[in-house]
Amino acid sequence: MKVFLDLMWFFKQEKKAYLTGIIILLFVAFLQLIPPKVIGVFVDHIKNDTLTAKIMLIWIGVLIAAAAIMYVLRYYWRIMIFGSAVKLSRQLRNKLYQHFTNMSQSFYQKKRVGDLMAHATNDLQAIQQTAGSGVLTLVDSLATGGFVIIAMATTISWKLTLIALIPMPLMAILTSWYGTMLHKKFHKAQEAFSSLNDKTQESVTGIKVIKTFGQEKEDIEDFRKQSEDVVQKNISVARIDSLFDPTISLIVGISYFLSIAFGAKYVLNEELTIGQLVSFTTYLGLLIWPMLAFGWLFNIVERGRASNDRVTALLAEKADIIDEENSVEIVPSGDIEFNVSEFSYPDENVPLLRDIYFTLKRGETLGVVGKTGSGKTTLLKLLIREFEGYNGTIQFAGHPLFQYRLEKLREAIGYVPQDHFLFSSSVAENIAFTNPDAEIDEIYEAARTANIHEDILQFSDGYDTVVGERGVSLSGGQKQRISIARALIMNPEVLILDDSLSAVDAKTEEEILNSLKQNREGKTTIITAHRLSAIQHANLILVLDEGEIVQRGTHEKLMLENGWYKDMYLHQQLEELVEHGG
Amino acid sequence: MEKTTVIKGKEQRQVLFRLLSYTKPHLKTIILAFVLLLVTTVGDILGPILIKIFIDDYLSPRNLVFEPIFALGAAFIGIQILNVLVSYFQLLKFQEIALKIIQQLRVDVFSKVQALGLKYFDKTPAGSIVSRVTNDTEAIKDMFVSVLVTFIQGAFLIIGIFIAMFILNVKLALFCLVILPLLLLIMRAYRKYSSIFYQDLRERLSQLNAKLSESLQGMAIIQVFRQEKRLRKEFADINDQHYQAGMRNIKIDGLLLRPAIDLVYVFAIILILSFFGITSFNSPIEIGVLYAFISYLDRFFEPVNNMMQRLSMYQQAIVAASRVFKVMDETELAPAQELNENRSISAGEIEFRNVSFSYDHKRDVLKNISFTAKPGETVALVGHTGSGKSSIINLMMRFYEFERGEILIDGQSIKSYAKDELRIKMGLVLQDPFIFFGTIKDNIRLHNQNMTDKEIEAAAQFVQSHLFIEKLVDGYDHQVVERGSTFSSGQRQLLAFARTIAANPKILVLDEATANIDTETEEAIQLALAKMRKGRTTIAIAHRLSTIQDAELILVLHQGEIVERGNHQELLAKRGLYHKMYLLQNGLEDRVEDVVG
Repeated sequence: MKVFLDLMWFFKQEKKAYLTGIIILLFVAFLQLIPPKVIGVFVDHIKNDTLTAKIMLIWIGVLIAAAAIMYVLRYYWRIMIFGSAVKLSRQLRNKLYQHFTNMSQSFYQKKRVGDLMAHATNDLQAIQQTAGSGVLTLVDSLATGGFVIIAMATTISWKLTLIALIPMPLMAILTSWYGTMLHKKFHKAQEAFSSLNDKTQESVTGIKVIKTFGQEKEDIEDFRKQSEDVVQKNISVARIDSLFDPTISLIVGISYFLSIAFGAKYVLNEELTIGQLVSFTTYLGLLIWPMLAFGWLFNIVERGRASNDRVTALLAEKADIIDEENSVEIVPSGDIEFNVSEFSYPDENVPLLRDIYFTLKRGETLGVVGKTGSGKTTLLKLLIREFEGYNGTIQFAGHPLFQYRLEKLREAIGYVPQDHFLFSSSVAENIAFTNPDAEIDEIYEAARTANIHEDILQFSDGYDTVVGERGVSLSGGQKQRISIARALIMNPEVLILDDSLSAVDAKTEEEILNSLKQNREGKTTIITAHRLSAIQHANLILVLDEGEIVQRGTHEKLMLENGWYKDMYLHQQLEELVEHGG
Repeated sequence: MEKTTVIKGKEQRQVLFRLLSYTKPHLKTIILAFVLLLVTTVGDILGPILIKIFIDDYLSPRNLVFEPIFALGAAFIGIQILNVLVSYFQLLKFQEIALKIIQQLRVDVFSKVQALGLKYFDKTPAGSIVSRVTNDTEAIKDMFVSVLVTFIQGAFLIIGIFIAMFILNVKLALFCLVILPLLLLIMRAYRKYSSIFYQDLRERLSQLNAKLSESLQGMAIIQVFRQEKRLRKEFADINDQHYQAGMRNIKIDGLLLRPAIDLVYVFAIILILSFFGITSFNSPIEIGVLYAFISYLDRFFEPVNNMMQRLSMYQQAIVAASRVFKVMDETELAPAQELNENRSISAGEIEFRNVSFSYDHKRDVLKNISFTAKPGETVALVGHTGSGKSSIINLMMRFYEFERGEILIDGQSIKSYAKDELRIKMGLVLQDPFIFFGTIKDNIRLHNQNMTDKEIEAAAQFVQSHLFIEKLVDGYDHQVVERGSTFSSGQRQLLAFARTIAANPKILVLDEATANIDTETEEAIQLALAKMRKGRTTIAIAHRLSTIQDAELILVLHQGEIVERGNHQELLAKRGLYHKMYLLQNGLEDRVEDVVG
């Protein structure tokens, strides 16, 4: 029940709705007592032959009024209590989303998207249930249960009430126990289902491999086996699930039996009238729900608490990279000075960068090359402040990076990442990502510079073609070029291409580099690449190896040195030289 | 975004009947379940009747004879206990049947998916195919398990109650029949509105989740382009729409669900009380009958409530089922082969004869392609992206059907070989080698359980991949995580080589096999390729021209046509497109100008 305390902030916030809802619930619980009472009155009048048309009309009038009021009230408590619960999940969801947008990349390195999604969906669902059904169940079962028991004990017979109630707690205990077991088995069934899901996902995405090796039959057999596992796991769920109804009806049956048996004795002793006995059994019917509800409540609350704890813990995570106090509100523009003696990712000991010192004048182009894993991307990530915690400083236009407001710093940078992620919206919207109000001409211009304009015009809906996960699939090269256009439209002070030309062919690469040369006149550009042709024109080329600069200079200078650069260059030329020299 | 549509009456019934046809193989179990259900229902109905007999025959007239009363009590308890056992098995049986039916449905739709051609996979996102096989069938399962079973059980109980009512008092039972149209009315109204609102809610939820999932995946981009505020706003808007939809659902549920049913319940009590009240003015009343009616009413509404709450599930399941059936009725099948069981590929000569092809029947991606790869020779395909290289391989692998021209293997049409023969004799290495969940061994062996560990290791050794495999934790039993993303693309490629070589094909097909790999790994791959190609006819696509210099024939493709052909030397001497590509790739733009200018 601690979760209700944890959620108190929300109950306080929605005080009015919850209080109204609870008061209405109490009213309904009270009004519910009327029909059984009226039944009892009728039975006694009929039995004693004292029923008149007038008495009948009065009581029927009472019933109609009670029914109508209950209908209205039942509608309203739902709005109040369930409505607030939905509000809670909306509020938490927004809060989580905002939190996600504030978290630094180190957070995303540690967490998996799937888990974060689960928090935002399943956990919120469980919390919503606690704030809705949980509150309802608690209040309603206490109120209805309490009122009914009081009515039974005071207006009929407290002795009979006690006797009839004997088996009831057993019901709450058993159903709650089943609930816990069910939850466990259900979890297993879910796991089996999700591995079936993974299997299907794999088969569908790997369909070419399966077809290539002609293993359709074997794969179907594998699927059949896994789906059999799902069936078995679900049957063990069903084994528990099927216990609920029989248990309930057995216990209710025993309770009825006890009340009729002992009630009959009291009727014979004239301690009770038959009408009261009929009322009593009807009241007993009203008790089933609160008892069941109590069993449920524990499960709802338990799940709600676990979920709430997880979400709270998630929200408590602090972002690593935040604006300093007094950070300046200017978009930096000027030279970049890199003085980093060492950097390693949080929680890792191996340094990824060591002794990186260089100055890049405004308007110059920097090329960074080296093997995979040599630290090229890491270097860029420090520059865009995705990571911090290095020894040394990185200065941009005369100030260390952290002195700029993060937003302003990033306004100066157009970044084209290695993994070209596009959003599920139109091509135009993807290119105009930083400025949704961009003129279509600006979008065209950026696309032309990135050499993708002609391709886009070939798409089924041109610039309105939806791309991304749920849109048409594009080739890697097309995606890369769209992400280049997305960065270009900002006309950024610094353009960063992180191996962004890897999926385009040599001819396209050359065209893009040419148009960039004109477009980026006077502006700083940083390019990392595997293919040396992409950085050959750079003012400064850094060769990285295991996080250190092993060579630096212009293409011409590097070609005069013996080292990786020249080797690589010669390697790429080797065949050509053999051809022409021989 | 997948639009979920509301399906209208007639189609809905067709879908339901088609679903129900899956029950056929389980007819015996179903009959058993129904018999059990019948027994439980009778048990449920008998309880109040026993109490009625007790009240009217013994309690009211104060006629206390021990033996019959004891017998009544014993019967009551006996029935309760028996009922518990029978109803447990009944409930379980129904669930078992439902689960088995869904399994069959799943296997059927999965088999169908496997039989579909790649054309289908091109136009359908993978996620939605997976959804058909798992999530949609899960929704149908929910319907079978809870909706259908609840409806059947509820219907049995309601009918049973009415039978009991008719036995007790025909006239009153007739009056009580009024309740039925009233309930039906509410149900219809609820179904009509809730199906709209509920559908809407689900759609909003899936939008919300899609937005969230996409934002999480693209968070680095959002942050670096500082669009956090805009996306928060967009998310809040979708969230708000979801909230509104949620509220609408609460309202409709509040108006038409439990509160409405409870209203009908009180109305029914009024009906019964009035009936007995009015009758009592003229004639004596059996209190026990009144008790039994009231007690039946109490039971009557629980199944109704259950059924109402599950209506939305029904709607959903029907929509899901119609989507599943749409896949099952899909006609975009994988290209069929002529039945020629005995024909086998021996030499491995490949000939393309005037092959033209179009994916969309509008624009030809291949135009009059003709070439021959002699047994053991290598034919390389080069060209700009979209020049048709991959299409040639797609046709050769029979991923797509073609009508114009002919592809011949050992002089016979490729269509005349059995599919298995083609799969065994032709080995394809994909551009992005797909790594499955499982161990390294599993990934080389695939589903071929006859392959021994020795053979696997030999294959790996042959293609130079044992070096990196042996360094892994557990070596060949290393568990691959996250689609092999911990391996470099070169390592993945080597693994794919091993997979292909383990199957020992006669013909080797390499699809952009050497693209995107750093130079060091490439050398290992080169070595492996040279060994693999020995004695095999090879068709290779390569981005890097250096990898195919020793090919017997190089075809330069441009917009679906072969514009140049010859070996490396000949093509360079031509100083045409190939020569330009070659120079460009080696970073010699200045010399390209010489050539062009």
